[in-house]
Amino acid sequence: MADKMDVEAVNGAKEAERVGPAPDLAADRIITNNFALLNSAVDAFDPRFTLRALRSISTLRKAADFPDALAIAIRTAFPRPQNNARRVLEEMLPERLRGEQGTDNANGGAASKDPDLVEIAEVWAYLGVLCQVYLYDTQQYDKGASFSDNFVEKVRSFNRRTMDPIGAKAYFYYQLFHEHLAPLPPSKQSPVIDIRPRLLAALRSAVLRKDPDTHAAVTVLLLRNYLSTADITQADLLVAQTQFPSSAANTQVCRYLYHLGRIRAIQLAYTDAHANLESATRKSPTTGPAAGFYQQATKLRIVVELLMGDIPPRSLFRHPTLEAALAPYLPLVHAVRIGDLQAFLATTTTHAALFRADGTATLIARLRQNVLKTGIRMLSLAYSRISLREICRRLGISTEESAEYIAAKAIRDGVIPSSSLDHAHGHLATRLPGEAYTTTEPCDAFHSRVEALLAMRDESVRAMRYPVDKHRRVAAEAALARERERELETAIAEGDEEDLGDDGEGGF
Amino acid sequence: MAENEVKQIIQQIDSLKPTTISQAPQLLSRAKLALLKLNTLVPGPKTPSQHLLLATTVLEYGALSSIRLKDTDAFTRYYQQLQSFYSLPAERWGHAGRPGNQSKVTGLYLLLLLSVGDYAGFHTVLEGLEMSSGKEQIDGDEFIQYPVRLEQALMEGSYDKVWVETKGERVPSDEFGVFSEVLINTIRSEIASCSERAYPSLPISNAKNLLFLDSEGAVIQFAQSRGWVAKDGRIYFPQQEEENMAADKDVMASSGLVIENTLGYARKLETIV
Repeated sequence: MADKMDVEAVNGAKEAERVGPAPDLAADRIITNNFALLNSAVDAFDPRFTLRALRSISTLRKAADFPDALAIAIRTAFPRPQNNARRVLEEMLPERLRGEQGTDNANGGAASKDPDLVEIAEVWAYLGVLCQVYLYDTQQYDKGASFSDNFVEKVRSFNRRTMDPIGAKAYFYYQLFHEHLAPLPPSKQSPVIDIRPRLLAALRSAVLRKDPDTHAAVTVLLLRNYLSTADITQADLLVAQTQFPSSAANTQVCRYLYHLGRIRAIQLAYTDAHANLESATRKSPTTGPAAGFYQQATKLRIVVELLMGDIPPRSLFRHPTLEAALAPYLPLVHAVRIGDLQAFLATTTTHAALFRADGTATLIARLRQNVLKTGIRMLSLAYSRISLREICRRLGISTEESAEYIAAKAIRDGVIPSSSLDHAHGHLATRLPGEAYTTTEPCDAFHSRVEALLAMRDESVRAMRYPVDKHRRVAAEAALARERERELETAIAEGDEEDLGDDGEGGF
Repeated sequence: MAENEVKQIIQQIDSLKPTTISQAPQLLSRAKLALLKLNTLVPGPKTPSQHLLLATTVLEYGALSSIRLKDTDAFTRYYQQLQSFYSLPAERWGHAGRPGNQSKVTGLYLLLLLSVGDYAGFHTVLEGLEMSSGKEQIDGDEFIQYPVRLEQALMEGSYDKVWVETKGERVPSDEFGVFSEVLINTIRSEIASCSERAYPSLPISNAKNLLFLDSEGAVIQFAQSRGWVAKDGRIYFPQQEEENMAADKDVMASSGLVIENTLGYARKLETIV
């Protein structure tokens, strides 16, 4: 199921790629440096600074002294030990760090030269997210859930646009904690169901406040929430009733597309599902912490492709990050490709537990008919006439009647369009296929490729980012240039007059 | 007071003979009123377990009797109402244990979805079942396995298997038999549309077996209803010829499409360059 995959991995990859600047810095320095970033984010009203601060989380959580660093950072931000916010945050840390409260006044005093920091709610929220990360990594799910309950409510009450990226993260951990509380999700009593109203409320406020970060994050979380308890109808309704923000971060788009692909696959809308999953796998980073997401999405995509009657390319199974994960799917694809029902059944029974864990088992069960169809197609390609008894024997069908119906259905569904059945003699006859180039097929194939490329170009154009207010500056420059030109013109005109005057003087 | 009334009505419904089943809706609406008085028609967080059990029994009777009366809308309503009871945790049911008809009602609902051709809904419900109660339990449940087997046979096209399954002794309970007729009609029209494409022509005697019809007269009647031509003891399929003609025309018609596409490319190129 979806919760098996490491969804947060998508974020991780981005972080790992760009975290570069200060890998050797001590964890507490990184956090305090981030305060400055948050500060400038608020001053410049530019969410990119906030994002940069959030990106370092993955480095921080791996640091050995993360809790200590967090304690130092909290004290730096809130020098007064009796500060309420500081007490709440420190509650979350291990005992030994909490105890130092009294003795640490010197440190607090040193940091108080920067009192402005405390006033910024973003710093507080950022520390809150770090606390969530710490609690999650140390598996204190109960504590984390109750802390997050209050935390997200508080974050929501602030209603500051510079807080949005942090708020989105907060909701993410909020859901993650509840997913780990007993009874675990597939059960209908899971706590994830209880947090739905809260998430829906968050979604509503995010839409009203034009807050694309929280909007996208909460939509994805709700989908994940619904799918974890197999409430596919609700998930489908949510997709139908909401609009995913177009300016959402790439990672959120990936997850959204993955969940959407999953819903569509369950509803048998394979073409839609495939389009979504393909975009999800293309947009997703293929290495680093996002590998888990990439593998999971690719598995689903392979099964959907098979259900559509396509065979995924062999090169996909040789991809370094995918090779091991896709190993059980390779014999499956082989069986479908050559239409070998026995091999197909053998594969599904050997890897049954694994397919179930991946959440692809029910989809794979639907593949049986595709195996039969491919089998019949292979036979009809190889023989211009073949008896139904032989079809039964080759494909492992129990009776000739079944074989006849299956073949008839294959003909109607266009799997073997140039074949026909002869009931009296009990055989399937196939006319030689015509020359493909006399049909419109090459033209259609060409058209679909051109369409795909043009769509990709359009998307790339739309995805380009331009600096804020650039056009105004350009306009101002143009106005300035015009001004200068006019000055020049007047100068020239005056000069001319003067010249004229000179000439006149000289002439006379 | 209301509790006794519900118990009484349940007994009355229980004693209904198949011939008098038409009285069931009346009794059920009285029972539902009584349940409303007990405030248990929708399970609340504090509803006692014996009331829960009463309510589920009434609703299950309602579901099963509406199937017998072929009132599928009423059945769907009862099914939706039962969902909120079925999703309660085991400890809420007390020592009485969970109600016994859950898989039967779910199986019937699956079959209903199948008979109206709502495959997306079918798979959605099935996916939910596998997630919530686990694969092993589903595999061992005859009431659920029956529609699952039927769906598989329908999808792969082994219509003879569907035919065998809908025969008397393979049907898990008599409520499931109600759908047999619908399903046979479904597969018959499926087979007909397949045959139109698959056979150039078909002897009437063979068509009788293929379409699971009783007599050659019925075959001819069926052929007429589909617009097939029956002559010299064979059936010919006029649609097929029409489609062949249409395919020939297609090549001519596609030149318009080619022009349209090419113009489209040109326009796009202009925006790019």
